[in-house]
Amino acid sequence: MSDVLVDIQRVSKHFGGVRALREVSLAIAPGEVHALCGENGAGKSTLIEILSGSCRPNAGQVLLAGRRLGLGNVGACEQAGVAVIHQEPVAFGHLSAVDNIFVGRELTLAGGLLLNRRAMRRGASELLADLGGGVDLACPVRCLPPAQRQRVAMARAILRDAKLLILDEPTASLSERETAVLFALIRRLRNQGVSVLYVSHRLEEVFALADRVSVLRDGRLVGTRLAGELDRATLIAMMVGPEASESSRLGGDGPAPGKAGEALLEVSGLTRRGAFEDITFTVRAGEVVGLAGLVGAGRSDVARALGGVDEPDGGLVKLAGEILPGGSVRRAIAGGLVLVPEDRHRQGLVLPMSVGANLTLSVLRRLTRMGLTRPARERRMAGRIMGELDIRAESDRAAVSTLSGGNQQKVVLGKALAAKPKVLVLDEPTRGVDVAAKAQLHRTIRLLADRGMATLLISSDLPELLSASDRVVVMRAGRITGELTRDEATQERVLHLALPPDRANTEGGAS
Amino acid sequence: MNMWRRIRAMGLWHELVLAGLLAGLLAGAWYFEQTRGAEFVSWETQTALSSHMWEMALLSVPLTLIIISGGIDLSVGAIMSLSAVTMGLAWQAGMGVWPAVGLTLAAGLTAGAMNGTFVVFLGVHPLIVTLGTMSAYRGIAEGLIGAEPVSQFPAGFLAMSEPLVAGLPPAGILFVVLAIAAGVLLGRTAAGRELRAIGYNETTARFSGVAVARTKLLLYTASGLVSAVAAVLFVARRDTAKADVGAGLELTAITAVVLGGTSIFGGRGRIGGTVLGVLLLHEVRSLVAWRWNRDELTFIIVGAMLILSVLVHSVLTRRKS
Amino acid sequence: MSPRSVLSRLAGREAGVAALWLATVAAVGMVNPDFLRAANLHAIFVKCAPVVIVACGVTLVIVTGEIDISVGSLMGLLAVAGGIVTSPDRMGLSPQAGAAAVLAAGAGIGLLTGLLVTLGRVPSIIVTLGMLTALRGLTRVLMGGRWIESIPPSLRVLSIGSTLGVRNCLWVAMAVLALTVVLAHLTPLGRRIYAVGSSPRAAALAGLSSRRIKVFAFAFTGFLTGVATLAGQLEVGTIEPDIGQGFELLVVTCVVVGGTSIRGGVGTVIGSALAAILMMTIGTALVFLKLGASASYWERAIQGAFILLAVLTDQLSRRRGTGEDTL
Repeated sequence: MSDVLVDIQRVSKHFGGVRALREVSLAIAPGEVHALCGENGAGKSTLIEILSGSCRPNAGQVLLAGRRLGLGNVGACEQAGVAVIHQEPVAFGHLSAVDNIFVGRELTLAGGLLLNRRAMRRGASELLADLGGGVDLACPVRCLPPAQRQRVAMARAILRDAKLLILDEPTASLSERETAVLFALIRRLRNQGVSVLYVSHRLEEVFALADRVSVLRDGRLVGTRLAGELDRATLIAMMVGPEASESSRLGGDGPAPGKAGEALLEVSGLTRRGAFEDITFTVRAGEVVGLAGLVGAGRSDVARALGGVDEPDGGLVKLAGEILPGGSVRRAIAGGLVLVPEDRHRQGLVLPMSVGANLTLSVLRRLTRMGLTRPARERRMAGRIMGELDIRAESDRAAVSTLSGGNQQKVVLGKALAAKPKVLVLDEPTRGVDVAAKAQLHRTIRLLADRGMATLLISSDLPELLSASDRVVVMRAGRITGELTRDEATQERVLHLALPPDRANTEGGAS
Repeated sequence: MNMWRRIRAMGLWHELVLAGLLAGLLAGAWYFEQTRGAEFVSWETQTALSSHMWEMALLSVPLTLIIISGGIDLSVGAIMSLSAVTMGLAWQAGMGVWPAVGLTLAAGLTAGAMNGTFVVFLGVHPLIVTLGTMSAYRGIAEGLIGAEPVSQFPAGFLAMSEPLVAGLPPAGILFVVLAIAAGVLLGRTAAGRELRAIGYNETTARFSGVAVARTKLLLYTASGLVSAVAAVLFVARRDTAKADVGAGLELTAITAVVLGGTSIFGGRGRIGGTVLGVLLLHEVRSLVAWRWNRDELTFIIVGAMLILSVLVHSVLTRRKS
Repeated sequence: MSPRSVLSRLAGREAGVAALWLATVAAVGMVNPDFLRAANLHAIFVKCAPVVIVACGVTLVIVTGEIDISVGSLMGLLAVAGGIVTSPDRMGLSPQAGAAAVLAAGAGIGLLTGLLVTLGRVPSIIVTLGMLTALRGLTRVLMGGRWIESIPPSLRVLSIGSTLGVRNCLWVAMAVLALTVVLAHLTPLGRRIYAVGSSPRAAALAGLSSRRIKVFAFAFTGFLTGVATLAGQLEVGTIEPDIGQGFELLVVTCVVVGGTSIRGGVGTVIGSALAAILMMTIGTALVFLKLGASASYWERAIQGAFILLAVLTDQLSRRRGTGEDTL
């Protein structure tokens, strides 16, 4: 009892047909930093959502300090002492840091009638000073940089006497120095008896911080180990698993001989102020070029500019030798370049509409005769794409919202393919997709390349990027920092180019 | 059974309920009127009562498309007012009546295009834009014409309100044509599918190469033009052009559209529903006014119908999900 | 955008509206000094009183991310209800009973609106549009085709009486304004109103009940509509059928011009009050500018122009500031 603060007991969760978590049991000790590792889609986010109360599991329960946690109830979980700091902390953008920290727990005067603004301000400034300080208390938090917003979220959690602090990719947008401050803070909280569930893709952080490490794969707990007993290779092996590591090596044989050659996408000097600068690279027919970089390096911005969503300020894009004018999705599609955007729900799909209507949305006007749509032709086209990509839906009339994540992602890809592109720009095509669908998507990408497609692939999942690409272009802070051939490209080398110089050096020293 | 499934699959139950209500209303009225000799459910009464419905009916068609695209237009009544005043002043200034009609349509078109410009190029919420232009357009109309209405239009112009085919005046025929055209647009054209996609998810539409800006601009401009047409028909029917033409019609038209099952959040909706909504609204109002001779009851019934129809829908869909 | 510029923009809207008002007053005063006479300015403020009172409530509703366009009809209904309860021609009860009926009915109907929005999950624009229509009908049914006359002066004391040389309705408006400012900025509830409007998701994660907060905002608006009815609509002892018509759009106009965002989370009651004063000044100013008999007909056009101007400056400053897409 005393050495277990949080006891997660056989928790399962499925969304429609997708099983996100299968009987996961996990114990977190008081005053422990417990790392949670796993590939994208392994079930980490679902577990976090369950602990935070924003998602109710289908089976299982969670004990916190021996008492059942009111799962599915955010208020109850917060009351019990669970606090989540998201990668992009959810906050009241228009309110000040003080208000964000105290909303719901206001300090009051006159018997609870009035706010004690001075006390709250003092409390907030003390809390934040403890966390590294430097936060403007008065201005709306939407104007604060990410590190400060994170501190505000931490202060919120500390004010609420959080017993379990869940940190979800907390360093994704922090600088080296900010990360060091955060780590010191985490250690201090641990010494004060707070338990921390630390979720990160950055293994070096896991080894630097964690007492124990739990690994999820495909919704199951692979195991929990003492961090000191693990090394990097073992941890990666646990995350990737025996079968997956083989399937991820599928394809990747490079362009079929004789097919590569014609440069289909030539980007030179592409610039969009505040996002990226002087981007130059080429993608040939039959080639998959990976675009690597940290979150915020500007990869998605490049993708958006190529797809015509944003207008670049300078530079040139040539599609099969012809200049592609920027700033128009329609012209990009007409020219043969289609973007598969990163956020499928917000940017890729019209969820309430049918699979068929989504698949044909970009090319609807090509399918009309005398201005009228031709349902039979649309259905044939939808049916063909559904068959090709193995999209599992009741029929082409089913609403996309009823499909699983993997099948939804295939619909986004299918919508792009319906336009018969020469060049595909794929932005995080496998995010939040289950393992089977992921493997299928990988095979499809390779198959398309073999048929002569020029593909630009963006993925935060570095192993995926490396196994799927023939070449890797690396970006950092809006600029290209290097280009690696298939043989040169290793995880370490890519990271070296992607990370800010000082951090890359320290890591180089460590490994 | 099979048909029932088909109705459910197409989501036609809302139209079915509306049609049922409409039929029930007319049947009930017919049954009760049998004993009294007076006939509400008769061709003569219905055509006579319908004459003042058509302007609102016309407005509801482009409004349906706008609401499906995720927008709203509160200024349609004000554009009617501005157009009517344009008509009156042009006629008063000695312009021929048909050139004056042309000028009026141009005024409505411009007013609609202004709405579209604000919504599209400044990205302001359409509720706010059209709330502003609603005041502005009606205000300009009031300012231009002052207190004196213009009347005594030529007989050839006023004849536009006479029944033309099957008891329908040109306004009614125009409504039928417009509704069919909008139904085809929505159900059978790329533009219709695209505007629905915009209503459900504008970002995705933009990422998919849909011309979002052009679609919206055209919608608001069309709404302005139709409002001007409605204004011309109103002036012809009443032989008077003044600033309070179309007052409150925007709210009635929106009520009819929402009653017809179109979601105020965009995406969901059909022209058939709007037609039924217009008819139901009109019949309820007419019956109450005709039977009890009390217009005020109709306000209560219309308001309650609006809230209840959305409430019932929200309760039903919640249970399903 | 730097934090400072956001702050200055938030404070800037109130300052801008106030400056515009001062400029208007000064300009009109130069053309016609009579405009500046205390009695005239006092009369303008008296016209503002009901708008300011109701705008206090509507501002909070819009800050929570909802909207209320039913206050005009509600005001008409409440005036008629008060009249029926107290007029010797009708029920003839005491003025206290009349005032209580007005306030209770206002709060009650606001509560109903709030419940339909939150529990019924009907969009507030639909609920209040329906209310706008239905309450107008109810008002006419209650009146039964006759005007309501001879309302006792004791019920009208807030409208017609004066204290210390200032009309009572102004005292009421100032009190309501002060109370709402305290509520909005100095109480936990006020903070939560802004929080719910700023980010419904964050509010849910923080365990705030956005339902309760929104229901309060609607009920408060209904109550204030009752207050405004007592303070502003009973100047003369008779009530006409179209009382309050168009009032709802005037109030929403003032709230928007005063800097409240229709998307929620942003806006102050002070801004709405200043905008109300600006709007009501323009109508009177048009008369004093001696532009001819038809000049006052342009009042509404100018009000519309102000809304468009307000959203225009808002939009342009936002675009210049961040360059991010707001779509």
